[in-house]
Amino acid sequence: MDKKFLTIGETAKMLGVSVDTLRRWDKEGILNSVRSSKKGHRYYSEQDVYLFGKDLFDLAEEWALREVGIEPESSLYCSTNDVFQNRLVGMQNLLAGIPNLSTPFSLIVALVGEIGNNSFDHNLGNWRDIPGVFFGYNIEKKYIVLADRGQGLLRTLQRVKPNLKTHDEAMQVAFTDVISGRAPESRGNGLKFVKNIITTNPLNLLFESGDAKLVLQKGDLELRITEKIPPVHGCVAMLEF
Amino acid sequence: MLIQLKKFGTTLSSRPAGKEAYLAFSPTLREIKEGEHVDIDFEGVIVLGPSWADEFLTPIVDQYKDKVSLLNADNPSVKATLELLGQIRK
Repeated sequence: MDKKFLTIGETAKMLGVSVDTLRRWDKEGILNSVRSSKKGHRYYSEQDVYLFGKDLFDLAEEWALREVGIEPESSLYCSTNDVFQNRLVGMQNLLAGIPNLSTPFSLIVALVGEIGNNSFDHNLGNWRDIPGVFFGYNIEKKYIVLADRGQGLLRTLQRVKPNLKTHDEAMQVAFTDVISGRAPESRGNGLKFVKNIITTNPLNLLFESGDAKLVLQKGDLELRITEKIPPVHGCVAMLEF
Repeated sequence: MLIQLKKFGTTLSSRPAGKEAYLAFSPTLREIKEGEHVDIDFEGVIVLGPSWADEFLTPIVDQYKDKVSLLNADNPSVKATLELLGQIRK
């Protein structure tokens, strides 16, 4: 896509917000403009504005549903764990600047880090087609989205629990059973950590793997898992904070 | 021995980074004398996640057991991570 730029007025119209809001978002790093000089006019990349206005969860889910994978747009794509860690710190810096967050930002970052780390730790060398994770967030709308085109929870957990048969069962195990002992798989407790944080803080999580879909929130004692049709390739997660 | 985690970074999240930190620090860990206390200080850590902690802290706690003390562990992500590692070790 050729890089096209919009004026601040055109951008405000497209997103349905005021010019002042765009200036504030630019200052806060929520939607960055491009300026020819420090005092020059603000311009916005058409691609950035399009992605900002689009629902990131829809984009992530569409990506995870594709029969044949393609690389996501570069601002939403972490091909390696190093890129992911770097962008995680970028998100951390933005969250740290928000006053009165109802959940401590360190918990949100640790939780999101764990979901992304899981994707890399469990799928390295085994990606379905496109390596890495889709990682996007909208600080203004207070949500974060992650997705991968990896093996999904069922195939990953079958390595330590070969009797698992369905995505639903795998989701239960991933979020509730503490896998102790270090062999043959020392990893596999990251999603318990995610559950501990979600159920004790004002957060909502949507997590999809294969044909299983989990909705989790504060105070939940049991997992609410429903069928996800069509199934996703890998995992998709959305955290609302 | 005093181990200041902030010297490894302030966002301690990934498993590869935790493993690398442990390997890099292993020669220093070998200097710990028998019976010596190991103080792990979380002061300055902004985010700690269980993947990093499992690679770095778990082997140290496994080896030095009740000789290990945890200092300044009041950051919410540090607390949540230590709680989970405690559940796994049960």
